[in-house]
Amino acid sequence: MRLLLIEDYRPLRQSLTKGLHEAGFAVDATGDGNEGLWYALGNEYDVIILDLMLPGMDGLEILRRVRSQGRKASVLILTAKDTVQDRVTGLDLGADDYLVKPFAFEELLARVRALLRRSYQEKNPCLEIADLRIDLTAQRVWRGTEEIQLTAREYALLEYLAMRAGQAVSRTGIWEHVYEFNASASSNVVDVYVGYLRKKIERTDKPALIHTLRGRGYMLGVKP
Amino acid sequence: MMRSLRARLLAGVIGGMVLLLTLFSLLLHAMIAGALRSQFDISLASVAQILAASVESDEDEAELEIQRMPALQDAGRPTYYQLWGPDGQVVIKSPLLSAHNLPRADTPVQTPIFRTAQVIHGKFWRIVNLRFVARPSESDGENAAPATEERSFTLAVARDTSELREQLHFLQWLLLNASGVVITLSFLIAWWVVRRGLHPLNSLAAEIAAVRADTLTTQIGADNVPSEVAPIRDRLNELLARLEASFRRERQFNSDVAHELRTPLAGIRSTIEVALARHREATEYRAALGDCLEITQGMQCVVNNLLLLARADTRQISFKNEPIPLAGLVSACWYPFTNKARERCIAFENRIPVKMTCESDAEHLSMVFSNLLGNAVEYADKGGRIWATARTTGDSILITLSNTGCRLTAEQVSHVFDAFWRGDAARLGTGTHCGLGLALVYRLVGALGGHVIAEVQDGVFTVRLTFPSTGNEKGPGQAQRSVPGRGLESTG
Repeated sequence: MRLLLIEDYRPLRQSLTKGLHEAGFAVDATGDGNEGLWYALGNEYDVIILDLMLPGMDGLEILRRVRSQGRKASVLILTAKDTVQDRVTGLDLGADDYLVKPFAFEELLARVRALLRRSYQEKNPCLEIADLRIDLTAQRVWRGTEEIQLTAREYALLEYLAMRAGQAVSRTGIWEHVYEFNASASSNVVDVYVGYLRKKIERTDKPALIHTLRGRGYMLGVKP
Repeated sequence: MMRSLRARLLAGVIGGMVLLLTLFSLLLHAMIAGALRSQFDISLASVAQILAASVESDEDEAELEIQRMPALQDAGRPTYYQLWGPDGQVVIKSPLLSAHNLPRADTPVQTPIFRTAQVIHGKFWRIVNLRFVARPSESDGENAAPATEERSFTLAVARDTSELREQLHFLQWLLLNASGVVITLSFLIAWWVVRRGLHPLNSLAAEIAAVRADTLTTQIGADNVPSEVAPIRDRLNELLARLEASFRRERQFNSDVAHELRTPLAGIRSTIEVALARHREATEYRAALGDCLEITQGMQCVVNNLLLLARADTRQISFKNEPIPLAGLVSACWYPFTNKARERCIAFENRIPVKMTCESDAEHLSMVFSNLLGNAVEYADKGGRIWATARTTGDSILITLSNTGCRLTAEQVSHVFDAFWRGDAARLGTGTHCGLGLALVYRLVGALGGHVIAEVQDGVFTVRLTFPSTGNEKGPGQAQRSVPGRGLESTG
């Protein structure tokens, strides 16, 4: 899943970027309001984590413009402003959640995951595709009773596919949601990671779950 | 001394009423008593005149025809008389007097003299003495001797004053009781009137009592306030407005403080939590600790400056008064910023005359210059200039610090001395720049007895400091802004 973090306080931005990245998210981060808006309008993000008081452009203005441009990304406002009026203003402008500083990083992660589930209309924190089970909260994966160890990037790829189980997912879509904006692009990096994932998930005695759709990308699920 | 307004008004009204009633009663009593006495005397004098007219005399004897005077015969309300001849011998007297005699006074002819005396039967009697010349006896005819003063008679007529005294006593009783009733009724009416009159004050007091810290915007006594109370209401509302403004600034300041501390706290917490989320190499832990240290230093800066601000506001800082070589102090304050200025290719020029001195506190004045120079180095354009000047004007010293590359508008410059206000470009420094440096300058300059204003012109940001050349002896002054400030503003 791809996140955009717009936070002007550098130490907080750095630690959040690192933590979110380690949690399996692709994170683009900026401390400038104008740059943040440019990122938000130029890319498809699953969640935008937005500070309110920013240099260049105010966070609420960014939110207004993102919504007016029809962007559907979930927006989590992250700010030190804690009055009811501040929260109401933020939520009324189209934010999906509001978290007041200081906060527990685990809570931020939980809220981001909840927003993701809401985006994909998936209320169950555990996804099950055939005998593949994914715990979205603990970020653990099982095939049958056997737990599968995945790297953060592999997990992010699996989660993205699982959220769209049964649907064709393009390589571009995977790239946009799983990799950061600044990641060095490579023509077959998605295929490579899908290959890694296949090796860890597929079992010879069980039906294949990751399918290559010629010219369209990939699909996670059991083919009828 | 009575502290109750109601008691004072009641005491004033009732006291005044008692005094007026007493004076009125005394006057009325005196007038009625005088009239009654006058009437009594007139009646008595009439009797005396009638009696005198009824006296006939010849050379040998005098005759009094009392049978024509039925009043003299009334035993219930006797009127006594006594007549003395020209020789002073009693000619005739009321038989009821028996052995008693009425007092005799020598008066001018036909001029009655009145007196009150306790002469008979222990009672008070009103006596009139009248000297007159008796008419000659009719029997003498034309042979009668001419009436002369030598042949004048003296008549005394006395009447009991009991009835008059009873009337006067009744009058006194009537006035006393009427006054009592009037005073009681006046008290009740005055109490009611005062109570109603003071009702607006009570309502005002109730409204004031209902005002809380969160309802300071309430307007007190908006309706139905008497014109006498209106000025008090207006002043109270003005006071409430000032209090509300003060509370609002306080709340904003607290909110800003909370914000300034929350963001770095969030930084520390997330840095630590992310670091502890998994096992890491020592270098990663070291980097996390370094980040936390940097954040902590920023917070320490905020807290220290907040403390200094609070102390400067409450005049808890003690200042020395010493001659300070200004150019040297500014150069010393510039020194820590030389590296940063070199990195940003900023030129600094100290144009302050070398021999110029200022009577002030070196430690706190250096804080002022350090903050201003630090601010200038931070926000001057790359390759720009910073310069300091000073000159004496009258009995004060004007010091200016200017830097190029200012992108603030005049409106923004009016806020530079507000705590936690940062120009948009400075917001990148959340947590690292305190946002308190210029606020501290403003407070310190004021506490040092000086004035400070900031202005921007053609991209040059200039801070003008004015200090008395004789130091801080006249007490702290008030720093000024170039444009009236609007209180604190949150910025990040």
